[in-house]
Amino acid sequence: MEKVLLKNLGKPGSHTLANYVASGGYKAFSTALKMKPDNIIQMVKDSGLRGRGGAGFSTGLKWSFIPKDPTLQKYLCCNADEGEPGTFKDRGIIDHDPHLLIEGMAISCYAIGASKSYIYIRGEFVFGAERLQEAIDEAYANGYLGKNIQGSGFDLDMYVHRGFGAYICGEETALLESIEGYRAQPRKKPPFPALAGLYGKPTVINNVETLSCIPAIVEKGPEWFSKMGPVKSPGPKIYCVSGHVKKPGLYELPMGTTARDIIYNHCGGMLRDGKPLKAFIPGGVSAPLLMPADLDTPLDFDSLAAKGTMLGSGAVIVMDTSTCMVKTAYIINRFFSHESCGKCTPCRDGTPWLTRILKRIEHGEGRPGDLELLDGVCDNIFGRTFCPLGDGAVMALRGALKNFREEFQYHIDHKRCMVS
Amino acid sequence: MLSEQAKQEILASLKKYHDKRSAVMDAVRIAQKENGGHVVKRDMEEIAEILEMQPVEVNAAAAFYTMYRIDKPVGRHHIQVCRNISCSLMGAEHIIKHLERSLGIKTGETTTDHRITLSTVECLGSCGTAPMMQVNDEYYENLTEAKIDELLKKMA
Amino acid sequence: MVTVKINGKEITVEDNTLILDAARDAGYEIPTFCYQADLMGIGSCRMCLVEIEGQKKLQPSCVTPVLHGMSINTDSGTVQTARAGVLEFLLANHAMDCPVCDKGGECELQDMVHKHGPHKGRHAEPKFKFHDKDYVLSPVIIKNSNRCVQCMKCVRVCREVVGQNVLGALGRGDHQEPTSFFRAFMNCEMDGNCIEVCPVGCFMRLPYRYKSRPWDLKSSDTICPYCATGCRMVIEERAGTLMRAKAQLGVGLNSETLCARGRFGQDFVNNPERINQPLVRRYGKLEPVTWEEAISHIKENLTALDGDKIGGIASPRLTNEELYLFQKLMREVLGSPNIDSSSRFSPDAVEGFVAATGMGEGGVSVYDCMEADTVLIIGTHLSDENPVIDYIVRRISASRRMNVIIASPRAMKLDSSANIVLRHNVASENAVLTSLVIGLNEGKLADTLKGMHEAQLDANLKASGVSADLISTVVNRLAASSSIAIIAGTDFLRYPEGISGLGLLKDLLKSRGKKVTVMPVLDRANQRGAWEMGVHPGFGPGYSETRKGLGTEGMLDAAMKGELEALYVVGSDVASMYPGDDFARTALSKVGFLIVQDMFMTETARQAHVVLPGAAHAEKDGTYTNQEGRAQVIKKLLTAPGRAKQDINIIRAIGESFDRSFGPKHFALVLDEIRKEVPSYADVSLSFNNKRNTDNKLDNRGALVKAAAAPAVKVKSFNPASVETSGARFILTTGNHLFHSGRSSMKSETLLGLLKGAVVEISEEDAASLGLKSGEKVRVKGANFEAQMTLLTKKGTKSGVAFIAENFDDAPVNRYFRRGGGIPRVDIIKTI
Ligand SMILES: Cc1cc2nc3c(=O)[nH]c(=O)nc-3n(C[C@H](O)[C@H](O)[C@H](O)COP(=O)(O)O)c2cc1C
Ligand code: SF4
Ligand code: FES
Repeated sequence: MEKVLLKNLGKPGSHTLANYVASGGYKAFSTALKMKPDNIIQMVKDSGLRGRGGAGFSTGLKWSFIPKDPTLQKYLCCNADEGEPGTFKDRGIIDHDPHLLIEGMAISCYAIGASKSYIYIRGEFVFGAERLQEAIDEAYANGYLGKNIQGSGFDLDMYVHRGFGAYICGEETALLESIEGYRAQPRKKPPFPALAGLYGKPTVINNVETLSCIPAIVEKGPEWFSKMGPVKSPGPKIYCVSGHVKKPGLYELPMGTTARDIIYNHCGGMLRDGKPLKAFIPGGVSAPLLMPADLDTPLDFDSLAAKGTMLGSGAVIVMDTSTCMVKTAYIINRFFSHESCGKCTPCRDGTPWLTRILKRIEHGEGRPGDLELLDGVCDNIFGRTFCPLGDGAVMALRGALKNFREEFQYHIDHKRCMVS
Repeated sequence: MLSEQAKQEILASLKKYHDKRSAVMDAVRIAQKENGGHVVKRDMEEIAEILEMQPVEVNAAAAFYTMYRIDKPVGRHHIQVCRNISCSLMGAEHIIKHLERSLGIKTGETTTDHRITLSTVECLGSCGTAPMMQVNDEYYENLTEAKIDELLKKMA
Repeated sequence: MVTVKINGKEITVEDNTLILDAARDAGYEIPTFCYQADLMGIGSCRMCLVEIEGQKKLQPSCVTPVLHGMSINTDSGTVQTARAGVLEFLLANHAMDCPVCDKGGECELQDMVHKHGPHKGRHAEPKFKFHDKDYVLSPVIIKNSNRCVQCMKCVRVCREVVGQNVLGALGRGDHQEPTSFFRAFMNCEMDGNCIEVCPVGCFMRLPYRYKSRPWDLKSSDTICPYCATGCRMVIEERAGTLMRAKAQLGVGLNSETLCARGRFGQDFVNNPERINQPLVRRYGKLEPVTWEEAISHIKENLTALDGDKIGGIASPRLTNEELYLFQKLMREVLGSPNIDSSSRFSPDAVEGFVAATGMGEGGVSVYDCMEADTVLIIGTHLSDENPVIDYIVRRISASRRMNVIIASPRAMKLDSSANIVLRHNVASENAVLTSLVIGLNEGKLADTLKGMHEAQLDANLKASGVSADLISTVVNRLAASSSIAIIAGTDFLRYPEGISGLGLLKDLLKSRGKKVTVMPVLDRANQRGAWEMGVHPGFGPGYSETRKGLGTEGMLDAAMKGELEALYVVGSDVASMYPGDDFARTALSKVGFLIVQDMFMTETARQAHVVLPGAAHAEKDGTYTNQEGRAQVIKKLLTAPGRAKQDINIIRAIGESFDRSFGPKHFALVLDEIRKEVPSYADVSLSFNNKRNTDNKLDNRGALVKAAAAPAVKVKSFNPASVETSGARFILTTGNHLFHSGRSSMKSETLLGLLKGAVVEISEEDAASLGLKSGEKVRVKGANFEAQMTLLTKKGTKSGVAFIAENFDDAPVNRYFRRGGGIPRVDIIKTI
């Protein structure tokens, strides 16, 4: 397959404007500037592109919610918070091909009529933030950003906003709070950001990978895009593979590639001979895990939803038989309770409680009834939280409890691990 | 006290935003950097003044994020080892133990010579190259004990 | 309107009604923690989750509006489990130290767990603790974060209502702690609204700490006796000691809010210095006597006096019934027209102000004022004088976004809610208002304005120190508004020249077809009531025509000339409030027979021939009329100490000693008589405002007094105030301090703990140019007085303005003033 998103990865100097333009960059932007904004939105709708940040919402549809009133200030925020454990794709694009993102954003801003845009990048990506800033400066210097771009009358400013260590900032309304200088707790919806987002103005929030698909859609046409992968979630997808495989890393493949293909073909199989697959997480730690029997499930939004899990950010975490599921569940849960923003009661006080129980079991201090207690606490969190973070924590834990209940029970009964 | 340069940087950050308070994250980061890795009450008061916020709002905004170290000094090298799932699968615990042993400190502590602080963190977005850690602003990936030993030697 | 089903019951409510409110209207209670009607909804605690047919997830009813046709269940099994689940989570880290918690017995968490479960504990894990020991945040606030339920009401009320913003949430997740900057001591308004809204024992009142259990307290629902906002409050006592005062959510115009004075200042009632027996001067010394002796002594000394040579001054903190009887005693029994309720303001100014604000036209609700397109606040440092009105303006303007225009020489907290701030010169209200009037006339001069032209505009602009641009912005806003509310304060009484400008602007706007409401802002709880009861030398009850008499000033003049044979002063410390150093004292010493009735041995009482121990508001029944003209009930909780008596009974006893039929005999019967004699009070009822105001919530319009028949008050014109020409740098202004009200608050131990010594406030810029810093000790030197006090600075106050509150015993501001003199000037010098 011809790569679109990662085509420049690994090429020396791929991050420079000169190389980006040499490889055909910013052509799509020039084309777009000659189009009617509405036509671009239609193109993106037709392409079938669904958001790569996790929820898989139609990007074109999201853009079409932005009011057309030209007097209103509108914003585009690129979600580069990349916090879902297992995920490192956006960083790949930012570090190696920042102009791809900038071009994608520029086209998107033109389409929705935004003259200001922010890239919300997680605080740990210091290198990425600096690289982006350099690229933005270059783009300004070469007339891809700024006033009256290429004589089109379109103005666009682009800024980097750096996070500083909070997973919840990936949630789109928390991200807006964070840019505004408040504690990053999610806002209630409605109003949705498309109507009242950043500083109360219409705002689109899209993931890095989503935005990076835009130039190719404009250049190659929506059909080219929609023909790739499954009908309902087409296009190229970056899978982030980590854990027990021979060649972990980023793989740009057509949406709907199966886990089997990814693990055994692209990644060169399991890490250690004699340690076969025990389970894998298909879409970041919020996604319930799948079992070896599910290896042939296509990794796309709908197929995974049908399996009770999700594509999420496309982070495939592979675990072999040496993995203790209690410990895995504990680590994942600890992450969620550490990252709970503290706004709503079930997540704020429920996830740490789960963590404490799991820690006890992990440390050989489990008690009879602990599994029922875990189930009960999960029930009291699920569906009652303010934002999806709390639900994510529960889904992950329920997935482990469902498939590995005996292993948890063994831990409680024998006060030690079943696998080591 | 913020230096003149830090103040200039904060003023530059203000230009990015519609609202002064939006610059609070940049401002505290700038203050923390200048202060060698942690921020103190005095800085926050000054930032509050510049951004026309109440000091407690600066405090609240900053205390939400784990990378701001409020009143918690760090050594010259701050080692942060990822302990989340992908790194853990690839042996993060060994890495942490090895570091603790080599440095003679526990996680969360600083060496007595203020050279190195050791912490653990949640996922740093480098899972394909696990196990990994961050030292100040730099990522170190695909860690092994040997690699760490090499690195520690270089840390003055 | 939309129709929805709640628990099967069909109800019709307005569009956008929250499910929670709709359910409450339908009679279903939904438990909440984070919801509070006055605050912006955050939907975070998840206590209020309800089931909506057709939706998979439970929804937070406190932020979800009803949609037509919704079918909602507020009490299904799922909802009940969810509630118990949330409560179980709240207990996960909760300290559970209920036996030592001051909130025990009135804790919302306790009550809710009791009601909604879980009734069994499943927690076996260690709890997260924020700290070991409770920590003090201010002289009135102590905090225990381990009990916090994270509803954030404290932070929200501090920001959205009080406008102080000194609380914030530090940390994240279950480490999130609402507290002050670095948990440090706070420098704030100390109003304790954070304590009031806290559902648990996280924010607690320090003065009440470990003093009582709520079930041991007896309470009464009453009105605050300090400023004339008329805040409803519940005061509580145990074993004869007043323990605390608190507000009630959704009751009274103040709802859950009170200011520091209201919430913490009621303890003056307990002050051991209260006078507890009648005293009569014998051989130069005040000696205890029985009531019979005191009364007959009074009768003896008043009999056969010419009424015109008797005077009476009564406090604007007495009840309407007391004030009514007082003037009746003076006018009908003693035959004296010399009656006043204030030693600070001239009777003419009062009459002009009453007329210009249209008090005779009946009450004006503050909530009606908030409905206006433009709210103009002038002549008051509202944030300090009437803090709760500041809260109301802030809260409502944040969502309604009407124009808020503030004109004041001193910067104030509410400025941040204003669209336009006019920083005018001291005593130039008239110039400001006249400039507006000229501006509004757009050259086409109305009759009243004949002869006014540009030169005059220039002169007014110059006098006010406000730029023409700002004036024209305000003019444009006023012109574009169809309704305007003017909130006018006591500076009009201090510098009465502004009264004619106020009347003129009001009339002009009205003639333009605009709806104009004027609300006076007053600083004594029953000032308006005192006037409406006819405690004034110029008009009788209901602003009726009456034989004119002398006001305080005239009485003191007469006394000085040896022409005042007797003076009856109730609850007013003329000696320490009257401008000038010794004048009042000397005059009082020349009064033939001085009767002083008070709670404390004031400067004035020390000079009396008879001292009668009166009662505090907490020891009385009666009514107060607040500045809006809202008549409200105060209810007795305690018995006055020793042999002290309710003032109404003392006044009546004096009256009866002359005329056995003097009465009526009971405060309720006095109110009956008022209702008959004062038509605007015909509907005032003892019952309407001590029920929960459920129908019209905070705004009980039935309590607003009606228009008087034919008010005998006129807008007058006054000479401009002159300013001393001493050449000193600052012009001195006065008023009340945020923590004090008159001198009575100086008897509150808690308020003294907040601020005891005098302070002088100037702008930050002036301080800097003098090389002075906030908090430094300075000497304030005027032409005839100087004192040492602490300097406070404020950003944005007009340069050259110094403020000293009228409340301080150690720096009595009245001494800087000279009787009949201009506005004093002072210099501020660093103390070495
Ligand atoms: C708790 C939480 C964390 C999230 N983190 C991220 C993230 O790190 N990066 C991201 O792109 N989207 C993240 N999302 C999804 C965003 O809320 C949002 O759906 C996305 O940025 C929209 O962009 P898209 O339509 O391009 O996917 C997160 C959502 C939740 C609820
Ligand atoms: S579920 Fe609640 S506490 Fe958790 S992150 Fe979302 S809003 Fe915050
Ligand atoms: S009351 Fe509705 S969520 Fe708290």
